[in-house]
Amino acid sequence: MKAGLGAGIAGLAAQGAASLRSLVPNVSYDAPTTVKLGPPLDFPDGLKFLPDERLFVFREGKTFYAVSAVCTHLGCTVRAEALPRTETATVEGKALRLTHRFLCPCHGSKYSGDGTNVSGPAPRPLAWYPLSVAPDDGQLVVDLAVEVGRDFRLVIA
Amino acid sequence: MSAMQEDSRPTQTAPGVHPRRWWSYQPQSDRESGDAIVSNFLLHWFPAKVTKSSLDWGYSFWLGAASAALYLLLILSGFPLLFLYIPSVERAYASVKDIEYVVAFGSWIRSVHRFAAHLMVAAVFLHLVRVFLTGAYKNGVGQGQRREWNWILGVGMLLLTLFLSFTGYLLPWDQLAFWAVTVGTNIASSVPLVGPTIRELLIGGRTIDQPTLIRFYALHVFVLPALLSLLFVYHVWRIRKDGGLARADRELLLERKAEQPAAPSKTYTLLGIARGTAPTVRTDSLEAPDRAVNAVPDLTRRAAIVVLGTIALVSILSALIRSPLEEAANPLITPNPAKAPWYFLWLQEIVTDTTFRIGSLTVNGAFIGGVLLPGLLIVVLTVWPWLDKSPGAAAGTWFPANRKTQNLVFIGIAIVIIILTLIGVFLRGPYWQFYWPWEAWPSIPTRI
Repeated sequence: MKAGLGAGIAGLAAQGAASLRSLVPNVSYDAPTTVKLGPPLDFPDGLKFLPDERLFVFREGKTFYAVSAVCTHLGCTVRAEALPRTETATVEGKALRLTHRFLCPCHGSKYSGDGTNVSGPAPRPLAWYPLSVAPDDGQLVVDLAVEVGRDFRLVIA
Repeated sequence: MSAMQEDSRPTQTAPGVHPRRWWSYQPQSDRESGDAIVSNFLLHWFPAKVTKSSLDWGYSFWLGAASAALYLLLILSGFPLLFLYIPSVERAYASVKDIEYVVAFGSWIRSVHRFAAHLMVAAVFLHLVRVFLTGAYKNGVGQGQRREWNWILGVGMLLLTLFLSFTGYLLPWDQLAFWAVTVGTNIASSVPLVGPTIRELLIGGRTIDQPTLIRFYALHVFVLPALLSLLFVYHVWRIRKDGGLARADRELLLERKAEQPAAPSKTYTLLGIARGTAPTVRTDSLEAPDRAVNAVPDLTRRAAIVVLGTIALVSILSALIRSPLEEAANPLITPNPAKAPWYFLWLQEIVTDTTFRIGSLTVNGAFIGGVLLPGLLIVVLTVWPWLDKSPGAAAGTWFPANRKTQNLVFIGIAIVIIILTLIGVFLRGPYWQFYWPWEAWPSIPTRI
């Protein structure tokens, strides 16, 4: 009697646990974090927004860097707004030409052109991601899995 | 022959047997009225007698009954939608568009569902406000009353109503839906340590996709309604176990002061007789004809007016006003401004304003405004019946002097929430900036 009762309760508990565990995904079908963005020379001078990667790619001649468009507050996509006149700032020891600022449509966070959170609820600056050149076909490549400092520049030969 | 004659004795005298078809809705004697409660399945959950003061329109405003009517309407209008909607990220939006433009009466049914949902959020909130302001979670004179427990059930039902609304407006998979999931699950993600895991569990992965939609769909059409229905039944059952509304107790309490205290002379449950723990109600007050009436038809008539009136109101409103549908979900573009439905705008305001910095430490407003403050509010609401030390006589009446302070604090908090909601609805424009309602929004390109 007691053994039967125990077995029944254990079975029920095991089924409950299994049901809940089955809802925890074992596999995540994420998009790859290393993405080819196209030939570097196809990028316009200034800013280009890549919606699929939610990324801003900046180009100044042969110098490239990339800033995330994902707001650090709650993950909406920020929008770039061109500044009336270009400013130059020193960011982490390197001169940076600021052509835009970034505004979030969800809760009004504001970021300066280098991604620094200026006002609104954003707790952190926008992420910077490393760019590189693909060894096989020379396309620009971004790695969305690691962040880099704001002194990162990719200079192509 | 004689046996048959014996069988065909006038059956009216047999208990619970009535020759007229609608006897239970139009009882012609106290006996028939009592029988209606005992023998009619649809009416068995009502008490046999009810105090007149409990039925006052101006005491309860019948907000609980209106909430229940809206919930019923949501279930009814949900059925056709359940057959017509397709929970797939590729087809959800098109199926809602079909419901809106192609299906016969589809637009009306969808509008009924939406209006009932919006009104239910409002009605359940106002019901909670009413119960708080009248101290109706306080126990009175009956034995075994646990009104504070019913208050907690009610808080749970308010939360379920909000979750049902949230999961419901995600289903069309339009822009509102997609960015609501993004923001909503990122709020969950802001919890220290376990946040990212919770988000992964909610959306079934790390990106918002098909697993997300099917999870919210299953919650919306089965899990949450099942829970809410269970709590609803329990909630109503507890009202009976607690001896009706707090107002009925109040009457007894006042009467006791005037008269000699008398021992409880009547119990309404068999278990109560056996154990002596069920609420006992003194016979003289419930059966005094100047104070109590038969539940059938006095209670049932009012309940019918509220339920049918609510259904009529929603039917007319939704025939006049169609439900909006935003552009199809586009993960590439966040709408500007991206506004939640009105009942979540106070939260959207709070997460906007609560990021704070002390030196190098920054705490995201998502956590403070989205998790801590609402969590604190829920905890305080839950334990309030134990913090409220006002006397039992303060229950069951509007604005009693001995609950003045707590009522004022409660009204203050409710007004803050309402003001934040109004700011969100009327004063926020592109990039979540302030604009007066008469100010034009600047034209901003829809793409960057």
